[in-house]
Amino acid sequence: MMWYELTGKDSDVVVSSRVRLARNLCDYPFGKRLDESGAKEIIEKVRSVFEGVGDYTFTDYSTLDPTVKSAEYERHKISREFAEAKTPTALIESDEKNLYIMLLEEDHIRIQSIMAGLSLNEAYASASSADTLIDSSLRIAYNEKLGYLTHCPTNLGTGMRASVMMFLPGITAAGGIRSLQNQLGKLGLTIRGMSGEGSASNGCLYQISNQVTLGNSECEILTKLTEICEKITEQERSLREKMKADESGRFTDRIMRSYGTMLYATLIDTSELVKLYADVRLGACLGIIDRVTPKTLDEILVRGMPNVITLENRGAVNANRRDRCRAEMVRYVLAGASEK
Amino acid sequence: MLCEKCKKKEATVMYKESINGHKSSYALCADCAAEIGAFDSTKKLISDPFENMNSLFGSLFGLAPYKKSTGVDVKRCNLCGASFNELAAEGMAGCPNCYSEFEDELSATIARIHGSSVHTGAAPAKYMEGREKKKQIEAVEKELHDAVAAEEYEKAATLRDKLRELKSDEGGMK
Repeated sequence: MMWYELTGKDSDVVVSSRVRLARNLCDYPFGKRLDESGAKEIIEKVRSVFEGVGDYTFTDYSTLDPTVKSAEYERHKISREFAEAKTPTALIESDEKNLYIMLLEEDHIRIQSIMAGLSLNEAYASASSADTLIDSSLRIAYNEKLGYLTHCPTNLGTGMRASVMMFLPGITAAGGIRSLQNQLGKLGLTIRGMSGEGSASNGCLYQISNQVTLGNSECEILTKLTEICEKITEQERSLREKMKADESGRFTDRIMRSYGTMLYATLIDTSELVKLYADVRLGACLGIIDRVTPKTLDEILVRGMPNVITLENRGAVNANRRDRCRAEMVRYVLAGASEK
Repeated sequence: MLCEKCKKKEATVMYKESINGHKSSYALCADCAAEIGAFDSTKKLISDPFENMNSLFGSLFGLAPYKKSTGVDVKRCNLCGASFNELAAEGMAGCPNCYSEFEDELSATIARIHGSSVHTGAAPAKYMEGREKKKQIEAVEKELHDAVAAEEYEKAATLRDKLRELKSDEGGMK
């Protein structure tokens, strides 16, 4: 099952947790210095490691339809850079293990695991199992002092980027994002909005991740990030309660209007969906809307992304048709959710 | 001593430069020294308006500033062929081997990015075995030291043999 079809810990605030490990093979150059035959050799070597092991599937991304690649990015399985790469690339994946191994992204191998809710340790365990498998057959670039050697020096050491996607409408409304950003910076962590810096229409979704990869162990990084996210979760919950206590009734009205739009609109574009998502998810978390769960809304958001819509609906050939298909999908998923 | 650049004439000038703490020196003949502007400090400063731009980009990417090539003895990575200047301009390593080839040039920059420059996390299995062995060796060395101090020579002899055995296996790790 995909991460957005599962419910994880603290899912009212934490949407998903992701761990990415960067690994490289000893004897091959990086990036533009790697020629096509070298790239194909790397792909073949890693592919052979996973051949006949468990439920991994291999896909040659070099020849894949761009819409499929972009949809996989929108489902958070791969990075944008990987979806847009013009050089040979391949993906080894296991939806069962929530594992996506990108071959020839910035590094030769990038193992990525994404799970619902606050579950960094589980995501690391999953990524680490693939890492162990690769390490048992291939010579991975590593030195005692610098750890895993990566294309960009900012990933040296553990080669690990752990990130937590948080839904923070309370902190956003209270104007606390900037101050949170400053505090996290002092702790070697970063926060960025899902649809770019300074964007107001980001669905109140933020990604918090470790910046430093060298000098701290994986366990230290994961523990610190988990603890910080737990504190942010507490703060977010208390701010939401204050919003709910609004006596004018405007807050509840805004949420119910957004819910009404989701239930009855026949055309919804991506940016409207993101805005509706934030309101209705907040309403669901606070018990204002009791027929929908946060997980259902996460699923709606992912399935409402332009390339996913195009892929799941044959008729979605232009923006207008996509808006129609998106609104239909939203109504359909919500109807299914209220029947449960 | 022959000039390090033309390798023909006798070197008469020791040319030293220090760019942001990175020092290098070359023994040159008078002609080669004049050619690279060694006698004219102002010439170097204004000759390349993009030199500072490059160092700016290099710093942004977290690497040491771009150093204008003097054409003398440019070191290249023996796996990917990249020079340090190329890495600084790109802000990225050319291959895993660049990290050992340009260890000195990169160490301060890496510490600047990460705050600490020693890895303490997970390692490939064969390095984990190496770490384990290192721990064992340190423990036996301590025991040996204590045994000698306590004048337990028979025990010390056994420990010395054990230490020799542990160290002989260690050579296999690269």
